[in-house]
Amino acid sequence: MLQYIAPATGLLFTLENILWINIGVFIGSVFAAIPGLSVILCVILFLPVTYSMTAIPGMMFLLGIYCAGGYGGSVSAILINTPGTPHAAATMLDGHPLSEQGRTKAALKIALYASTFGGIFSALMLLFLGPQVARVAAQLGTAEYFMVCVFGLTIIAGVSGKSMIKGLISACLGLLISCVGSDPMTSYDRFTFGISRLYLGLDLAVCLIGLFALVEIMSKAEKRLDRLNLDTTQIKDDGVITKEEYKRMARPVLLSSIIGVMVGIIPGTGASEASWFSYNTAKNMSKHPEEFGHGSVEGIAAAESANNAVTGATLIPLLTLGIPGDGTVAIMLSALMINGLNPGLSLFTTQGNIMYAIMLGLILVNVFMLLQGKFLTTLFAKVVSIPQEILTPIIVIFCFAGAYSVNENFFDVGVALIFAMLAWILRKLELPPVPILLGLVLGSMTETNFRRALLISNGSPKIFFSSVYCIIFLVLILLAVGAIVRGKMKERSTQKED
Amino acid sequence: MKQWVEQFNGRMDAWGRKLHEKEIRIPIDLVTGLVFALFALAILLVMPDQVAVSEKDVVNGRAFPTLLMTVMLLCCAMLIGKELYKLATKQPLNWKVINIQVEAKALVILGILLGTYFLSKWTGLFVVGAVFCCLGFLLYFRCRKKSYYVITLVIAVAIWAAFRFALGVDF
Repeated sequence: MLQYIAPATGLLFTLENILWINIGVFIGSVFAAIPGLSVILCVILFLPVTYSMTAIPGMMFLLGIYCAGGYGGSVSAILINTPGTPHAAATMLDGHPLSEQGRTKAALKIALYASTFGGIFSALMLLFLGPQVARVAAQLGTAEYFMVCVFGLTIIAGVSGKSMIKGLISACLGLLISCVGSDPMTSYDRFTFGISRLYLGLDLAVCLIGLFALVEIMSKAEKRLDRLNLDTTQIKDDGVITKEEYKRMARPVLLSSIIGVMVGIIPGTGASEASWFSYNTAKNMSKHPEEFGHGSVEGIAAAESANNAVTGATLIPLLTLGIPGDGTVAIMLSALMINGLNPGLSLFTTQGNIMYAIMLGLILVNVFMLLQGKFLTTLFAKVVSIPQEILTPIIVIFCFAGAYSVNENFFDVGVALIFAMLAWILRKLELPPVPILLGLVLGSMTETNFRRALLISNGSPKIFFSSVYCIIFLVLILLAVGAIVRGKMKERSTQKED
Repeated sequence: MKQWVEQFNGRMDAWGRKLHEKEIRIPIDLVTGLVFALFALAILLVMPDQVAVSEKDVVNGRAFPTLLMTVMLLCCAMLIGKELYKLATKQPLNWKVINIQVEAKALVILGILLGTYFLSKWTGLFVVGAVFCCLGFLLYFRCRKKSYYVITLVIAVAIWAAFRFALGVDF
């Protein structure tokens, strides 16, 4: 590892990278602070911008958005009692009451410090655990890799919606869409229906703009136009955090960071689960549990450190096995693959300098998030109340410009619109879109490994049950399916009782 | 002009109220199962035309899509089977209520999106579509603040300029 650190540092500390980190952190904070806009939407909108970049600045930009998104959601949660992102909901429970006590700046500072600690802790875990997991991943063959893909897809399909069956249908649809274009092994065209532009396949960014961004615009039809009025005079307190409060925060921050890392490593779980789990743990372990829900500093610290501790941890299965922990990092996987960086041990050896630069960069992202949070909090707070009338057309223009810029043609914009319509229908049929995203990202890898494994075995499917790793993953898939089905049944029986 | 706008808004509100009361209830799981079963069958049907293969291939380009469609068909069969069992045992089905007003509003939004697309495509000027998009959405939201129109249009042109001149996108 040490042999990569020095060259990686050299690659990382360039003016271009620092600039893109800061742009990413700024955009991520702004998007997450605005209720209704999500981090995944932000990453999708700006993914085409990274197409013209090399791996390090592109990933730094996206990681900046991703990490700052973890903190940005807490701004509106604290200020207007509306979480900017779903995982900031736990922060809201204590953040807003503390704000109402006239300590808005203090609440925002606690959220920022806890987020930064969680983020850096998670980045260090990635730095130390990533290469170790990659060594195990290096022992996997094509059949095992296929099982890994199935494992990732099954979990995401299982946890993404109300029904696991519908999640699987979505995943199959995503995988099928990834088949459009030339066959990865023979180059014959597939499902192109005589349209020559489809020969190169559908661009991921274009599909995602339709599936996640434009459909959100269409969903404005379902919502009322909310006016979010923010009184900016309320953030003019001194923001002092006492020594006693720092002491009280220390334990929940550390414990929640560990929980965040552990939750983040498991595919399918995410920042929301980590923040709620940590919040409850902190409450149970606190000497002042009665303060929770009434502006407890421990509550804010626990929730925020946990949701940012997820960021680096989700990259561990992504970079080592190619399993994205959630939708946002799945998009990052595609950004990596565009630059020829394929997950696995080779990423940490042959591309070691770049990989270590990205992992070290995650620490830097958190440092800049702290600096921007310290000096730009008032600005982030003001964007919370940007009216929907202004935001909506701007997002549409970004979507269209982004889709057009991929190949500089209107065909892609049309494809994005078709995907928006498809996503609207899927939403009506209650089919979750995240498994489709995962199917699109993992499609090529899944198919290639599936076919190579069958080629090795001369067409015999027994190869998928032949090695210890295959059996381990098969057992894991069955256990995951069992746990998900049991969880859903419990959820339904609780709903019926209610 | 002001009177005309008021009249138009009043008529829209009256339509909205009428549409708001209209709802369609669909057995969502049953419909999903049937729709995707038909989709999977259609894909399997067009597969020989759409996926060329070589006789020599042990595992050809149809293997993976066929596997996917088989899994999809199995999932659909489970969904349909579950709902039919509920019907047979007189348990309540999983219903989804579709509000016509919401769908009509979604169609209007889709109209604005399509208008933006076709205007940009036909004129070859992205900025024309962007201006239409801004005006379309501000009118959709019935925005009366002139400042919002100015701000949105300025930002729209700024986005076009950023992509055109800073990122070198030719539109």
